[in-house]
Amino acid sequence: MIFQIDFKSGTPVYLQLVEQIRHAAASGGLRTGEPLPSIRPLAEELRVNRNTIAKAYAELESQGVIETVPGKGCFLKAVGSPLTKTARNDLLVQEIDRAVVAAHHLQITDDELLALVKKRLETFERKNHAARD
Amino acid sequence: MNTDAPVIEIQNLVRRYGKHDAVDGLSLAVRPGKCYGFFGRNGAGKTTTIKCLLNLLRPDSGNVRVFGLDPRKNEVTIKSRIAYVPDVVAFYPWMSVRDTLEYLASFRENWNQDIEKDLLNRFQLDPAKKTTSLSKGQRTQLALIGAICPEPELLLLDEPTSGLDPIVRREFIETVIGAYQSGDPNRRTVFVSTHLISEFEGLIDEFTIIEQGRELLTMEADAARDRFKKINARLPEEIKINLPGALRVKRNGRELEILANGNSEQLLAELKAHQPEALKIEALSLEEIFVASDILKKANA
Repeated sequence: MIFQIDFKSGTPVYLQLVEQIRHAAASGGLRTGEPLPSIRPLAEELRVNRNTIAKAYAELESQGVIETVPGKGCFLKAVGSPLTKTARNDLLVQEIDRAVVAAHHLQITDDELLALVKKRLETFERKNHAARD
Repeated sequence: MNTDAPVIEIQNLVRRYGKHDAVDGLSLAVRPGKCYGFFGRNGAGKTTTIKCLLNLLRPDSGNVRVFGLDPRKNEVTIKSRIAYVPDVVAFYPWMSVRDTLEYLASFRENWNQDIEKDLLNRFQLDPAKKTTSLSKGQRTQLALIGAICPEPELLLLDEPTSGLDPIVRREFIETVIGAYQSGDPNRRTVFVSTHLISEFEGLIDEFTIIEQGRELLTMEADAARDRFKKINARLPEEIKINLPGALRVKRNGRELEILANGNSEQLLAELKAHQPEALKIEALSLEEIFVASDILKKANA
């Protein structure tokens, strides 16, 4: 997979990697069981500190997104969060609230927001479908 | 052994040349496993500081410690655990690349032959070539091989890429990341003085900006990019708008460029009250932070 690092985004580099991998996993860019790039070549290619990549992978592992197989590398895990349904709901509610607040300040109506969410879900579904074929 | 003990510790370092204070009360600490950037203009005191770490110069006052040891008393022990790449590298003119590496290896307890082979191949350096016929880029590459093969705990780089072409510079940084950082992370510390900051941006964990021998700003790179932001706004009409919280405001008619110092949310809110037609915010890169450091000095005071 191809990563894009932007130092001007203000988001720490390791979090940019975490977000891009989570996005790829959700949109079919990275499939269950597929390996992530090894730390050394990825660090060289992006010209970022190896510790930054290691930190991103450690974060993804603690979130249950990837797993490390000793001697083999990191792989995308099947979707299966170790958290309870309630805890997972709570985490998502925080994210939704951020979008709701943003929509308010951007003068997007509730109906428009719901329509946009539906559209995005369809987009991800389409990407996933295209990746499977 | 305390693994968090700093690899480099400098306290109130002063070094003068005649009446000129090259370094004037500098303090900093580099933790193990970090890549530490040391940024400053020409003549800011970077090389003088590094020479004090290597006992090539003696401090007039203050303390310098490397691995907790005093370079004046433990020069050999310290030098056996570090490698140094200066901006201008010199080799014995009668030696070939192979002779030079063997000569350098003869001073070292440890020399990783695999890394040597790998890097000679990567840089396409002919071992039989005489050092006098190497280009500036190739001489730096040879110095880098000589610095990485002993797998030192601390790599000191003093303006390592200045004067090199972009491809050699890129390879240099990739080699530091790939070949050097591949060992035990806690025994791989980098201290790099440079003013080609953007190339090292992804490598730097923490940095100090030095000006006229004094520390101007020391921060972690992520924290710095989070704190210093540039906001561009275009207002519907030219109005007098006061932003006392801004580090700097540049005005061009309806357009404003504002430097924020950890208060970008508040500045954005103040701007939004004026119904801007366009509003953009981005973090300052480390190089932009360096360039703006005369303004940031006020922020720090």
